[in-house]
Amino acid sequence: MKRVAVYAVLVVGAFVSVFPYLMVVFTSLKTAPELNSTAPWLPALPGTLDNFVSLFDGSIANVSFVAYLWHTVLLTVVLTVGQLVFTTFAAYAFARMRFPGRQLLFWAYVATLMVPNVVTMIPLYLIMRQIGWVDTWMGLVAPYVLGSPYGIFLMRQFFQTLPADLEDAARIDGAGTMSILLRVILPLSKPILGTLTILTIVFSWHNFLWPLIISSSDSTRVVTVGIASLQGNLGADYNLMMAGSFVALVPLIVVFLLFQRSIVRSVALTGLK
Amino acid sequence: MLAFLLAPVVIVAVVSLFRWSMLAPPEFVGLANYRRMAGDGTVWHSVAVTALYVLIAIPTQTILALLLALLLNTRLRGIRFLRAFFVIPWMATPVVMGEVWKWIFSTQNGALDAFLGLFGVDPIAWLSSGTWALPAVAAVGVWGGTGYTMLFFLAGLQGIPEHLYEASRLDGAGRVQQFFAITLPLLRPTMFFVLVTSIIGSFQVFDTVFAMTKGGPDDATTVLNFKIYATAFQNFDDGYASALAMLLFGLLLLLTLVQVLYFRKRTTYDYS
Repeated sequence: MKRVAVYAVLVVGAFVSVFPYLMVVFTSLKTAPELNSTAPWLPALPGTLDNFVSLFDGSIANVSFVAYLWHTVLLTVVLTVGQLVFTTFAAYAFARMRFPGRQLLFWAYVATLMVPNVVTMIPLYLIMRQIGWVDTWMGLVAPYVLGSPYGIFLMRQFFQTLPADLEDAARIDGAGTMSILLRVILPLSKPILGTLTILTIVFSWHNFLWPLIISSSDSTRVVTVGIASLQGNLGADYNLMMAGSFVALVPLIVVFLLFQRSIVRSVALTGLK
Repeated sequence: MLAFLLAPVVIVAVVSLFRWSMLAPPEFVGLANYRRMAGDGTVWHSVAVTALYVLIAIPTQTILALLLALLLNTRLRGIRFLRAFFVIPWMATPVVMGEVWKWIFSTQNGALDAFLGLFGVDPIAWLSSGTWALPAVAAVGVWGGTGYTMLFFLAGLQGIPEHLYEASRLDGAGRVQQFFAITLPLLRPTMFFVLVTSIIGSFQVFDTVFAMTKGGPDDATTVLNFKIYATAFQNFDDGYASALAMLLFGLLLLLTLVQVLYFRKRTTYDYS
């Protein structure tokens, strides 16, 4: 009985969560006249795949959707690898190592989270123009590839919950800092590393404002900017926009389902017991 | 690396001391922008709107996320599949979701009014109502942020050793007792992280406001971040916008400091 109640609550919640996406799917399967003649939360049967076809067959001028998707994949891979490597090292240093100014430096990192995004874009763009990285891959990647204050904050919080005894024991066994990090800490950190990976993938996949500002040609354009341009070029073609954003969502859901495992694997299961 | 991160802050601080528009050369005015800010009623209105937004969004989102994490942490059949549903909103493309939510809140064929109509509730003009526009925008924030916050609580819950629960069960503790004696205290680092980052995040809400209301009706949803955007990119008053940005920065710094002190005082963990 209790199980039924839990399921009921979860199913209702899940429905509310995906309801707007249901509208995205329905709209992407409608023709332009159907968009106006049907309620947005109802499907138009039998539905058409024309919107998806025209996204991919290159029939829309100025929109190379396949290229945008490819750029987004590349960007996401580079930023995620960068984030995992640099953030882990930095966070470990902040959590466990003793060096002068550690506290101050850490809070300086966290403070950068508080600077309004809208405002930092201008100085950041000016810096990029100064070093000639506008409309280049370097410019697109540079602000994010060395890890983020957010990720460092997250990992540090987690590292601090790990028992220090484990490290002491490894040190007595003769392990150096590097091998403690790689052989003791990281295996225990799988759940949080899974979380960080997903966070970074979704963030990189969706980052909109910065790519919009820094990339001006098809050679660096990513999928969010591409979707937004469907709105601009063609006077808000909602059917296409929704088809585009549905296509953009699918890889993220696949990634989430793949990584669920590592999030779910508890610290207890991986060796603390 | 840090220099790279801090450079924009320094630049914003410097620009806030100038009268600077895109059109005219900058002119050093000292603290004039800050004096103007102190006497600018619309700025304090924005601060109030922002505070209200945060007060609506953060408690709702945090409590919902924690409850969800507890429910989703059970070993039920199909639970992994269900989890994915709750994380989908966070994976949304902001540009598109603003449009979709406008449809939902719309007075013409809006899904929400249609749904409420089933219970005999009269249609409400959500986004053009001074009373409802802000809660509506906050609801979208909660929709987008709950599943995401839930992920952290879930990871935190998974980190709590099972034997603690077993031991307390032997001592005769009930579910509710276990929650307050074990779960909540051990989630403290997670809670600290979630609150600090989500409060910072909701103080900087922009995408939904931009897509749904453009700050209206009558400044009812003009949060400080949107005010900064409008001042910089619509009025081209960059010096003043930078001063406003410093205000937001200062407010967030203060709030974070309060949280750091609170969590440090009431904890057995080492946050240093």
